[in-house]
Formats: sequence, C-alpha cells, structure tokens
Amino acid sequence: MKKKLRIYFPFASNELKRQMAYKGAFYLFIFISLFSSFIQYFLWMAIYGSSGNGILGNLTRNEMIVYVFMTYVTSSMVMITISDWVSMDVVEGMIAMNLIKPIDYRISLISRAMGQAVYRFLVPGIFIWIGLEIYKVKTLGMQVTGIGSILLYLLSCIMSFLICVLFDFCFGMVAFFTTYIFGMLMAKEALISFLTGQLIPLSFFPGVVQKVFDFLPFSSMVYTPVMIYLGKYNSSELCFVLARQAAWVVILYVLGSIIWKQVTKRLVVLGG
Amino acid sequence: MIHTVKRYWRLYKVLIAQFFKVVLQSKVDFLMGLFGFFLSQFMGIAFLYLVFEQIPSLQGWTLDQLIFIYGFAQIPRGIDHLFTDNIWLVAWRLVLNGNFDRYMLRPMNIFFQVISEKLQPDALGELLVGSILVIRCMMKGIVVADGVHIALFFVSIFAGAVIYTAIKLFFASLAFWLKTSGPFLQVAYEMANFAKYPTEIYAKGIRFIITWIIPFAFVAYLPASYFLGVDGPFGTGGSGGVVAIECIIAAVFWFVAYALFQKGTSIYESAGN
Repeated sequence: MKKKLRIYFPFASNELKRQMAYKGAFYLFIFISLFSSFIQYFLWMAIYGSSGNGILGNLTRNEMIVYVFMTYVTSSMVMITISDWVSMDVVEGMIAMNLIKPIDYRISLISRAMGQAVYRFLVPGIFIWIGLEIYKVKTLGMQVTGIGSILLYLLSCIMSFLICVLFDFCFGMVAFFTTYIFGMLMAKEALISFLTGQLIPLSFFPGVVQKVFDFLPFSSMVYTPVMIYLGKYNSSELCFVLARQAAWVVILYVLGSIIWKQVTKRLVVLGG
Repeated sequence: MIHTVKRYWRLYKVLIAQFFKVVLQSKVDFLMGLFGFFLSQFMGIAFLYLVFEQIPSLQGWTLDQLIFIYGFAQIPRGIDHLFTDNIWLVAWRLVLNGNFDRYMLRPMNIFFQVISEKLQPDALGELLVGSILVIRCMMKGIVVADGVHIALFFVSIFAGAVIYTAIKLFFASLAFWLKTSGPFLQVAYEMANFAKYPTEIYAKGIRFIITWIIPFAFVAYLPASYFLGVDGPFGTGGSGGVVAIECIIAAVFWFVAYALFQKGTSIYESAGN
C-alpha cells in the first residue's frame, strides 16, 4: 500500500504542478463557466418569480441558488475528463510506453485526475463555496451548513470523483476504435450535463424518468452530493444514496477492468 | 471591380469544393460532430420544456415564444460559425507562431484569405436546429409572417451574422498587439449565451453590456421579439425599428473591427528571425 502510494503520488503532484503553471487559461475557464452559472441563476430567479408556487421540484428559491452554485463547485471538482488523455495516448502511440511500464495505466490516470481535482478544489471551488456561504447567511438569511453535512458532502464527492473518472475511463476506450472523438465528447458532455442534474435538478423530471435515473450512474455524480449538502436526505436515505455511490464505484471499476483486458488484446501500435 | 468580385468568387468556389471533399472523406466524423452539436442544442430545449411543466409563462413569455427566441438565436450564430471559424486560429496561434505570414505574401485581401481557408461543418448542427425550431414556430402561427417581416427576417439574420463576425474579428485582431487573444475572444463569444433568453431577466449591468457593449441582444432576443410581434424594450415592437438599429450596429461594429484588423496587419511582425 505504502509502495503503491509512492509510485502513484508523483502522477497526482505533477498534474497539480502542471495546472499551476497554466493559471491564466484556467482563471479564464472559471470565469466563463461562472457565466453559465449566472445565466442559470437569473433564469431561475425569473422562473420562481413567474410561479405562484414557492417550491419547484422540491426546492425553494433559496435552495435553488445554493443548488446552482454548489453544482458548479461540485462538478468542477469531480468531473475530471480523462478520456482525452487516453485518446491522446492512443493517437500518439504513447500508450505502448504505458503498457510496458510496471504500473497500472488506469491508476496512473486516476492519480493524475486526482491532482487536477485537488487543484480545482483549491482554486475556484473553495472561494466560490465560501462566497456562497457568506451570501447565504448575510443576504438570504439561511443557516450556515453544519459540519456534519459538509463532511458527508465531501465523502460523497470523493465517491463521485471515482465514479466520474472510472466511467470516463470506460468511455475513453472508444479511442481505441476511432481517432476522432471530438463529436462523441460533445455528445457525451451534453448528455452528462443533463443526466447528472447540472442543467436542471433531477427532481424536475417526471416520476418515471426519475426512477430510470436511479438505475444510472449519472445521478450519483453531482446530484447526490449537492442534495446531501442541501440536507435533503433523512438518515436512511442518506445511507442508501452513499451505498449506491459505493456500488457504482465497484461496478465501474470491474467493468473498466474487463473492457481494458479486451481492448489491449487487440491493440496495434504503429511505429517502434 | 466586377472583375475582382468574379475572381474572388471563383477562388471561393474552389475552396468550397475542397470542403465538400473533406466532408465526404470523413463522413463518420462529420456526422458525429453534427450529432454532438445537435444533442447539446436539444438539451437546451428539453430544459425549457421541463421548466414549463411547473410554470405557465416566464415573465409573460410562453414556452413557444422562448423556443422561437432560442432557435432564432442559433441561425446567425451558425452562419458565422460556418463561414468564419478560422478567425479563432488568428486569435489563438497564427499570429503567435508566425504562420500569419502566408496571408501577407499573397496578392489577395487578407481577411478573405483568413475566412476562406476553412468552412466549419459542425455549424450545420446549429443551423439545422435553429431552422427546425423557427419553422415549427411558424407553423404554429406564433410568428408574424407577412411580407415585411419575412424580408426583415433575412435582413436580421444577415446583420446578426455580421455582428458575430465583427465581434470575433475585433477580439482576434488584438492578437496583433498581444500575440494571442484567444482568452478574450472566448469570453466575448460566450456572452452570446446570455441572449438566448429574454434579457429582462438579468440584472441591469449585464443587460446593458449585452445590449450595447457586446451587443448580442441585437443578434437574438431583440429581433426575435419583433418577429413574435411582441413590444420590445424600446417600444419598437410593431415597427421593425429594432432591425434597423441592428443593421446600424452591425455596420458600425464591422467597420471598427475591420479597421482594427487592418491596423493590426500593418504592424504585424513575423515570429522568429
């Protein structure tokens, strides 16, 4: 275990350093993605203003504000895309180097992703989070989120992170079959922003659709931690959603291993 | 004059023929890119549907009207995206790595060379979604469809695409001074997303910026409300004056952006030694 940590820790710390090096570009992307959070914020304010009902999709107006910004914080932290690393490695043939080294390719990718996640937690995440808490208390007159909820939220985020990267690893295997995954990436991103609840809380969907979502891994990626943060689950529901997240981690891990075995069998690398 | 236009047209036809060859060569890539764009547009519509399950109207706008605004916004965006996508490369790297040299050496208009180098097939996704939504709204009869409105519809789409191109060109031209201006261009371009919805929902400051500074409201929401026969914030809803203002803005922005671009090319120095 200790040895493993020594092997894979540099992947994470290098990625963290790399991210630090490109600060300019990164701040810009924070800025742009905050645009869409603000569009959503204003849109929801108008929607609540037009509704006679104070509660839409089980969320009050104030909870919706928290939802919009916590969804942003959570997804920027946990939704790390590793499939384009895979595709780049495959296209450039670097994958061969990774196969002959005595390391697990997938764990090295996950370690890299973890470095990125830590960075995103530090740079935009925590500031927006603190800003939101201050806004919540000062302007909206809500309670500060309790330490218990925060800890459960972070626990859930860690599992979300694992679900996201393990899922994305499976998705990245597509790179072994086609060299052009830009279109697929766009389609994936569009679908995921919808299925994870980034675009609209899943509680807005009709009941039948929500049942279907319960059986998909996507709801465990962003929606679950944010709902935990909002304190929307009672203790038995809480155990259930956390167990469901853990189950998805295991399932996607096993699935990834199976696909990886199949794919590397038929891999052809060009050049020496 | 006529001779020049003929020459440019002939060149452009050659380039478009190349584009179709590229599309035919990689049909799967093309279809996937199209599908990706299509899907992300579709999600925006699905969002509106889900929201309208809960509310009858959004500050007086019905679901169909919002869908029209959303769809209408895609058309000028798609036209600009299709024809002038290469401007992005000027902003990100052509000036930086000195590849801009090749445009300076040929005896042709530099701007023409930049945009004619590439057509972006992914834009067809935007155009397709936009057209489908607009046609759907016309069949539902929520759009005013007399002769004047239809004529102004095409004028507005054209002017809107010019505004898009001008904004892109303006921020890309900054690269001549800054070497790379991609980040600024990206921020400006993303502002367009604000104008997919009625701008009254935003705070005053944001509304002012997207109406007058980076005038995407004139590309999407404001003309769209005219075609819906809704009185816009200027009280020009019935008269088409909003399209006139749109054209003036398009002209002004285009001249400013193009002047900046020409100034930029005149001070351009190649990279390296």
